[in-house]
Amino acid sequence: MTAAAGSGQRPARPRQSLIVPAGLLAFLVITWLSLSDQFGIGFDLGAIIEDITNGGRILITESDSAAQRGLLVPNWAFLPRTVDPMLETFKMAVVASVVGCTVALPVAFTVSRVTAPNGVVLFLGRTVLSVVRAIPDLLYALMFVAAVGIGPLAGIVALVFFNIGVVAKLLSETVDGVDPGPIEAARAGGGNRTQTVRWAVLPQVLPNYVAYSLYTFELNIRASTVIGIVGAGGIGNLLFTQYRFFNWSNVSIVVVTLFVFVLLIELISIWLRRRLV
Amino acid sequence: MIRFENASVTYPGGVHALKDVTLDIRDGEMLIIVGLSGAGKSTLIRVINGLVPLSGGDVKIDGVSVRHAGSRQLREIRSKIGMIFQTFNLVKRTTVLNNVLMGRLYGAGTLRSLFAWYRPEDIEIAMQALERVDIVEKAYVRASNLSGGQQQRVGIARALAQQPKIILADEPVASLDPPTSHVVMRDLQRINRELGITTIVNLHFLDLAKVYGERIIGMRGGELVYDGTAAQADERVFRDIYGRSLTADDVMSEAATAAATL
Ligand SMILES: Nc1ncnc2c1ncn2[C@@H]1O[C@H](COP(=O)(O)OP(=O)(O)OP(=O)(O)O)[C@@H](O)[C@H]1O
Ligand SMILES: [Mg+2]
Repeated sequence: MTAAAGSGQRPARPRQSLIVPAGLLAFLVITWLSLSDQFGIGFDLGAIIEDITNGGRILITESDSAAQRGLLVPNWAFLPRTVDPMLETFKMAVVASVVGCTVALPVAFTVSRVTAPNGVVLFLGRTVLSVVRAIPDLLYALMFVAAVGIGPLAGIVALVFFNIGVVAKLLSETVDGVDPGPIEAARAGGGNRTQTVRWAVLPQVLPNYVAYSLYTFELNIRASTVIGIVGAGGIGNLLFTQYRFFNWSNVSIVVVTLFVFVLLIELISIWLRRRLV
Repeated sequence: MIRFENASVTYPGGVHALKDVTLDIRDGEMLIIVGLSGAGKSTLIRVINGLVPLSGGDVKIDGVSVRHAGSRQLREIRSKIGMIFQTFNLVKRTTVLNNVLMGRLYGAGTLRSLFAWYRPEDIEIAMQALERVDIVEKAYVRASNLSGGQQQRVGIARALAQQPKIILADEPVASLDPPTSHVVMRDLQRINRELGITTIVNLHFLDLAKVYGERIIGMRGGELVYDGTAAQADERVFRDIYGRSLTADDVMSEAATAAATL
């Protein structure tokens, strides 16, 4: 109001939030405690060096039998056997990303302050999403292996949940920050919620959505190693069986394949992002 | 006919932005609202299409209450009221045509607009709207690549694409330079005269108000303090509305010369 403006008095300095400094302090304290003897996780530089020297023997052992060679003496003959599991991992990641990111799109608009239909839906949606994100991918894999049996299907379902959690969270935070002007324009013209989201919000966040989707796809390839351990298919299965029999030189081939593959995917996605965004 | 009946707005936080305003606006009128910053001009405009909810009284459009309209009916009311904004409010990342088609959202329906599956007649209406403000050649250009004046004409085209009976313009030229401001104001005036669309414009440059307004309304502190023809509104009237003497900042031509001599 006109009366409220220009009383000429300097306002009192608002109290600064202590959350950031307190948080930093907490991190320092936790780090210090972890390194200390009484409460620590047994972090000891000397022991690490000793372990590495011992482990070194595992790494470089030469032998005629592939099964006994070390990790740094890869068994190239094993390479063809990584192709099928790697392809399986790739297919799992594609399906899981397409399904997960598609579902995450409407979910993100439901859990953003800007586009939620109402406060109740917003609160419920956020709560559910927090739970979805709190469960680690390995646990999803275990749950779905138990539910649908060993194999890639369990892995795909696990990754779908993981992707929904990640993309819906990142995207909803992006939606929170969009320019409200076009939203007001769409509403003023008689648009309903769906139309407003589609034409005033989606064009603003589309580049981010593409970036997040590519990012989760990369994460899925990486996660395949972990979820394979519990029998959810893909390259992780192979990695784990070789590891279990201490076939270090085969393990190293799997790791190399995975490494090259992840690098390739990352290069492609960087290129895609530059073209699309 | 727009009829304000003791319309009041209290914002959360307790600001009385509109106090007991009673006012009739006839069909086809070109009405200009002036007043100091914070006087309640934007609020007065936004209660007409329900973007700001009333806390007392009512606003009726052709006898239909805005205050008591359900969400469906409110959308129907809004579909016949075009709105133009100070900062244009375009979606910058998409094309000019897509922006103008936002004026067809209500007409096209949810499913069609969701999949960008507009009817040919919707596209035709959008193109004609762009032609009316003389910017149709930019139809497939990204909105972010246009100048401020061009963006505001797209904003007008978006409003026209609704085939509205009323156009509300909240400081439509406040982000534009003087020559461009005149282009945009002439567009609005032409649309008002040729199409007979009731046009309500907030302005803070008094000389613009006198040139383009038929009827001028003055607001101060949420109240209506002047209602008369542009011809009657002389310097004394504006002084009363503002509650102070006028300065160079209150007129565009003076402001322009001041800027030019800097
Ligand atoms: N969303 C809101 N919440 C709370 N108070 C608001 C809100 N919008 C406006 N106000 C207050 O209501 C009063 C009138 O605001 P309004 O925007 O209608 O004024 P205006 O005449 O359009 O001013 P300006 O020329 O600066 O645009 C002001 O005191 C303003 O601070
Ligand atoms: Mg205003």
